[in-house]
Amino acid sequence: MKSPPERSSVGTGPAARVPDDVRAAADQVVVTLARLVRDGEVTCHGVNSIVPALALMLARQGQAPNARQISIGGGLDGAPRTLPRSSSGSGWLSGSPVILSNVDVYQLALRGRVDLMLLGCVQVDERGRVNSTVIGSFDRPQVRLPGGGGAAVLFQVVRRIVVYRTRHEPRALPIAVDFVTATGNLERVVTPLAVFRATPGGLKLEGLQPGAKLDEVRARTGFPVDPTDDWAPVAPPTVAERHLLERLDPDRLRDLDFQ
Amino acid sequence: MTGLRAASLGVPFEPVPGFVGTDLPATADFRTVKDPWTGGEIYVVPALRPRWALLHVQEADARGNARILGSPGYDLLMAAAADQVILTAERIVETEELARTPDRTGITDLTVAAVVEAPGGARPGDCPGHYDVDEDAIRRYLDAARTSEGLAAYLDAER
Repeated sequence: MKSPPERSSVGTGPAARVPDDVRAAADQVVVTLARLVRDGEVTCHGVNSIVPALALMLARQGQAPNARQISIGGGLDGAPRTLPRSSSGSGWLSGSPVILSNVDVYQLALRGRVDLMLLGCVQVDERGRVNSTVIGSFDRPQVRLPGGGGAAVLFQVVRRIVVYRTRHEPRALPIAVDFVTATGNLERVVTPLAVFRATPGGLKLEGLQPGAKLDEVRARTGFPVDPTDDWAPVAPPTVAERHLLERLDPDRLRDLDFQ
Repeated sequence: MTGLRAASLGVPFEPVPGFVGTDLPATADFRTVKDPWTGGEIYVVPALRPRWALLHVQEADARGNARILGSPGYDLLMAAAADQVILTAERIVETEELARTPDRTGITDLTVAAVVEAPGGARPGDCPGHYDVDEDAIRRYLDAARTSEGLAAYLDAER
């Protein structure tokens, strides 16, 4: 594919107004998620999931060419030229040999046929429990969140769950979440500053994103930050990853969630 | 989904893996039962049986046989779970047209109470084969819906 990428006809995207540090954070989280995909895995992304969808697209064009990609919008191995603006719309049906209903997708997961799911969350705590339901108490919420969308089940039937945060801040990474929406096979948490790995002793710091300092991560994490024995810096996007990101998401839709 | 599926099968509840260690069952009265064969505990979700399902489809005949193009999402399950179904359709077609490729008909008239010809009925959402999501319209709606007066004005303007 050597021709210049087509621009999306719907809007022009956030483009030049986005500060460099926000763009860098978006790129770093997407490539970090993409690198976690193993070749041949059956992967899945949900609705309103620009970042997971792009990461899976990137992985399939990079180190995991045989990974399968289920879109909750119904596509399997959809191959849109550029990232569709809607992660549940018909853009992901492009190139798909089949149309899966939401019921089909859940059934595949329930039957243990999904290996990896990437998804966002509002809070994730030291024990790897995720909250997407409510801030404050359930009956008298400060903020009512969108809900888990099946996560309470998916976390216990999908083999590997990776969640990400677009911002790394203490209240998003507390000792205990306000409400346990989902818990189970969480494996890693990716933020613009760090990568945490789930261990029997809770989340441990496995990687520092480029430019992040351990003290800064400690100050901006609500639970005590304990590095793993093999913790290491995470590499910035490679030239190949940058080129792929530019081609797959020329309008930088990925920045939207990071502002 | 599990509650709708239980309703579609005519059973009072359906078991589902998951939910263990989460706060959700308490908020929705999901309970556990013992597997009569293994003795293991599993969550069950009560049947969710809507009086009505209101579905937008691309093509329906006047009796209520209908085709959904693109992903059916949860629509077929909702149709199966509800007591009765109301269809809105981009296009009303002759039954003979559906009969030429009956494998593409997802909804049968047996449960459909009414069919409404409503081109554009899924706007500002998308309807594969007809139109895509209208982001500007969704933004206008979100702005308008902040107040009840704004919402009323929006609905008048869209009518």
